[in-house]
Amino acid sequence: MTGPVLDIKDFSVVYRTPGGDVRAVTGVDLQMNAGEVVGLVGESGSGKSTLAYGACRLLRAPALITGGGVTYRGRRTAGPMDILRLGPAELQRLRWREIAIVFQSAMNALNPVLNVRDQILDVIHAHLRISRDEARDKVGSLLDLVGIPRARLRGYPHELSGGMRQRVMIAMALATDPEIVIMDEPTTALDVVVQRDILAQIVELKERLGFSILFITHDLSLLLELADRIAVMYAGQLLEVGTAHQLQHTPAHPYTRGLLNSFPSLRGARRDLVGIPGSPPDLHDLPPGCPFLPRCGYGTPACTDIDMSLAPVAPASAPGHVTACPFVRPDTPAPPGRPDRPAEASPEPATSPELTS
Amino acid sequence: MTSADGTGPARGEDVTSVAAERGPLTMAAVALGKDFRLGRGQVLHAVRGVSLGLYRGAVVALVGESGSGKSTVARLLAGQERPTAGSIRLDGAPVELSGRRAFRRHKSKVQLVFQDPFSSLNPVHTVRYHLDRPVRLHQGKRGDEAAREVAALLAQVRLTPAGNFLGKFPHELSGGQRQRVSFARALAARPSVLLADEPVSMLDVSIRLEMLGLLDDLRRRFQLAMLYITHDIASARYFADEVLVMYGGEIVERGPAEELTQRPAHPYTQLLVASAPDPDNLGSTLRGGTATGGTATGGTATGARQPAGTGPAATGCPFSARCPLAEDRCRTDDPPLLRVSAVRAAACWRLDVAAPGILAQSQGGGT
Repeated sequence: MTGPVLDIKDFSVVYRTPGGDVRAVTGVDLQMNAGEVVGLVGESGSGKSTLAYGACRLLRAPALITGGGVTYRGRRTAGPMDILRLGPAELQRLRWREIAIVFQSAMNALNPVLNVRDQILDVIHAHLRISRDEARDKVGSLLDLVGIPRARLRGYPHELSGGMRQRVMIAMALATDPEIVIMDEPTTALDVVVQRDILAQIVELKERLGFSILFITHDLSLLLELADRIAVMYAGQLLEVGTAHQLQHTPAHPYTRGLLNSFPSLRGARRDLVGIPGSPPDLHDLPPGCPFLPRCGYGTPACTDIDMSLAPVAPASAPGHVTACPFVRPDTPAPPGRPDRPAEASPEPATSPELTS
Repeated sequence: MTSADGTGPARGEDVTSVAAERGPLTMAAVALGKDFRLGRGQVLHAVRGVSLGLYRGAVVALVGESGSGKSTVARLLAGQERPTAGSIRLDGAPVELSGRRAFRRHKSKVQLVFQDPFSSLNPVHTVRYHLDRPVRLHQGKRGDEAAREVAALLAQVRLTPAGNFLGKFPHELSGGQRQRVSFARALAARPSVLLADEPVSMLDVSIRLEMLGLLDDLRRRFQLAMLYITHDIASARYFADEVLVMYGGEIVERGPAEELTQRPAHPYTQLLVASAPDPDNLGSTLRGGTATGGTATGGTATGARQPAGTGPAATGCPFSARCPLAEDRCRTDDPPLLRVSAVRAAACWRLDVAAPGILAQSQGGGT
């Protein structure tokens, strides 16, 4: 391999609004290697979808790419391609053929008046030059691949369950044998049992077909199980990148630590859950330095001066594990005065006597 | 469909709820059923034979997948749907919903919080309007008195200073702030029962915990009897006293939150628990190639992948179409909730195979 299949460097996107620029993505560096599952985790509005769609040039005004580069190196393409400089015809070849997307809401992404077969045929004919008969055979084998009975070929989206629709979306994404599949919250709308089925199937297909996955979600617990590497995004910037193991066992950034303390665990002893107080910053008007400072329990005045570049947590032993926080390390003790499990200790705000029954 | 009368079989009456340890019974549903006519003679049995009790100061969680009937239960309890079978009692008296006056009286005691704070608040009205109206309607306060009450409500849900929020429209608030306004609106009626239908599942993971903490705080301070409806069984473990698991319109298992989530008895609960994403679950079933261990479902009876798109069975046990333990009896006879211990029950004919350890323990323990 000559390098990462997708190399995003110092990538920035703003949304031009009358009230000023909203800095949706700022100076992001992220690499994806062939066959890798990279997880991108962040709250809504953190810029994770803007980053992924921006890197494929799928954004339109008022979104504006203001800087950086995105290099794609596929097995089928002659050499590295600079995605940000491609013309319309080249982009058309790149999209879906090389990079396909599974959208969050399958009900909205599927055409309600086309049946399953015609949806997938549409994708195939738009991107591949094969005969009608070959295309029909391909649709059948794609449905086999994602475990939809062929009897459902003539079914319409509204006749399928949420899980089935998401499987159709995955079949469509795989129709052109892409190198990278971007999955934008593909299972968020589904029940846990169906979610697990679909994730297991995605992993199985990835092993079999060898594509890479950029998996976008707000659920870190899912990524810890699914992803090889995880990038944590906040207010348009990456705060920490590392393997799933590193993020779970030696998280460095206070935000990552907060996320890890945010979901109740089903197995094992009951842990003290802390969560993250406060809400994300206004991207119109980002304060200097670390955007997480107002919610951070470790914050110091020096945090307003840092440049938010990613530096290795332990350069010698784990060069790939990087964090934007220069102060907190995995062995830094938790700051004092943090609330205990909210169920037990929440300060009582002023109560009007007539409300206290 | 079995139970054509909608009442269903007897439901574990000899099992007591752990939620009763918190306080007296506030609201009770007995053998509740709701059928929806779909036209062409088809009937959907959305809820069948559901009995539950809500106790003062306690949280009862109703866990299940979408379509399992859990929201319909909430709507029945809130008086927004009329049950087709069974009865509801509030503070010992049967619930009477005939006429606007009776309906409003019921609403002032039983309030509902919805999942989606984007669509449950009116986009053309301010926060003040959303809170002022229920204060006038349910508490009869006017003028300064009402304004003070509205400010106090905002303080209860920690939207302070109140002046910053009163004039805001829903689109000017974050998802978490909007849901706080929904909580405040529910509290404005001074209810004794709060039905929270997936109150945090639309919110970001990082603020869910804070919101559950707030709900718990409100529960404690106002001694609310709370029904917490969720598809996230892990949050029910942390938040609820008792957990009821619903599948196909029926309660298939009930028990104390910690016990039920740690040692599920019903095959469906076992599947739910095994499916929850959990990083502490070493050797995950995902990441097949790189996992350290082999299978990881830890002694549950239902490790196998279920066929896609299989809904509840029309006859017999609703889970029989997906259950790996199903035998002929399961497909013809719908099991009632059978006593597992003094505080646990499960509707399964095959508990001896699904949860032999739990049964042996409860019988040996002399309950």
